[in-house]
Amino acid sequence: MPEWISIIIRSIILITVLFFFVKWLGAKQLAQLNIFETISGIVLGGIAAFHTVDPYNSFYYALLAMFVWFIAAFTIEKLSLKSKRIRDFTDGKSTVFIQNGKIMEENLKKEGYSTDDLLQKLRDNNQFLASDVEFAVLEPTGELNVLPKKENRPITLKDLNMTAAPDKEPQTVIADGNILLEPLANASLNPTWLEAELEKQNVTVDNVFLGQVDHKGQLYLDLYDDHIAVPEPSQSALLLASMKKCQADLELFSLATDNPQAKELYNRNQKRLKQAIERMKPYLKA
Amino acid sequence: MTVGSEVKTCYATLKSIEAGLDLLHASTTEQDLKTTIEEVSQLIKDARHDIHQQVIHIDKQEPQYKS
Repeated sequence: MPEWISIIIRSIILITVLFFFVKWLGAKQLAQLNIFETISGIVLGGIAAFHTVDPYNSFYYALLAMFVWFIAAFTIEKLSLKSKRIRDFTDGKSTVFIQNGKIMEENLKKEGYSTDDLLQKLRDNNQFLASDVEFAVLEPTGELNVLPKKENRPITLKDLNMTAAPDKEPQTVIADGNILLEPLANASLNPTWLEAELEKQNVTVDNVFLGQVDHKGQLYLDLYDDHIAVPEPSQSALLLASMKKCQADLELFSLATDNPQAKELYNRNQKRLKQAIERMKPYLKA
Repeated sequence: MTVGSEVKTCYATLKSIEAGLDLLHASTTEQDLKTTIEEVSQLIKDARHDIHQQVIHIDKQEPQYKS
């Protein structure tokens, strides 16, 4: 057998073997690999490379060596899933650098971090003042994660005691001028609805580059033809506006009338509207 | 505009709000929103009922403006 044919066959077989081994080892992100996984990955690749280009080496040795490395990596991975102690050993432990706003000098020294290194890592996390940090931990991957003090954290709706409507993911129902049936079904809508909605906006499916439906059932379109202006869905905004108008009108009536009975009626309903607006506001705001 | 027609406009707006809420109720898949709409719908319905009575009352008082 000529050498070049042998190299082609070896390459194809080794590519296949390597592909399956790597797949079985799990699809962790490269950045999340621990030391041992990285090394075994490199060694597997190295063995494959070495035996592909050298036709005089025994091919079975290559398979044997790769198999042993694969088994070792595989076993350690499964064991570390089972036991916390093995996981600490193979993955490493995280180190606390700042606790309760105080820098842990001992831990810094242990990990070989200087003040400058720490400050640089803090700046990576947008913290320029060490005293702004409540808690910082160095992950085994070498990343520093920082929890700023409460007063330095961005404000959330919870801080403001406000309620927000739950938000579901939007579904992409039209892509490149084609209706996608599965996302449409996920939003519990059907093609007939979509066609009616497109007709309402006076566009054809072919002209739609991207169409998305939000959880309220509103359709947002982007057309191939950018000169055509598509109105943004404004149903909910309109509804909120008319509720506000109605409430204002009733308030006005109750002020304008002299009849105490009518005054009371307008006032009562004005309050109802006010309550309704309060309830619907989180949902209707865009 | 007379007071009567103003109140009638308000009554019409209330009806339109109720319809809008129904539409939203039909088109949403979110259970949370649905229950809220049902409660709010009831509020609007009560208000609409009251204003309707008022519309009738005003029409009776000033029949010359009845439409």
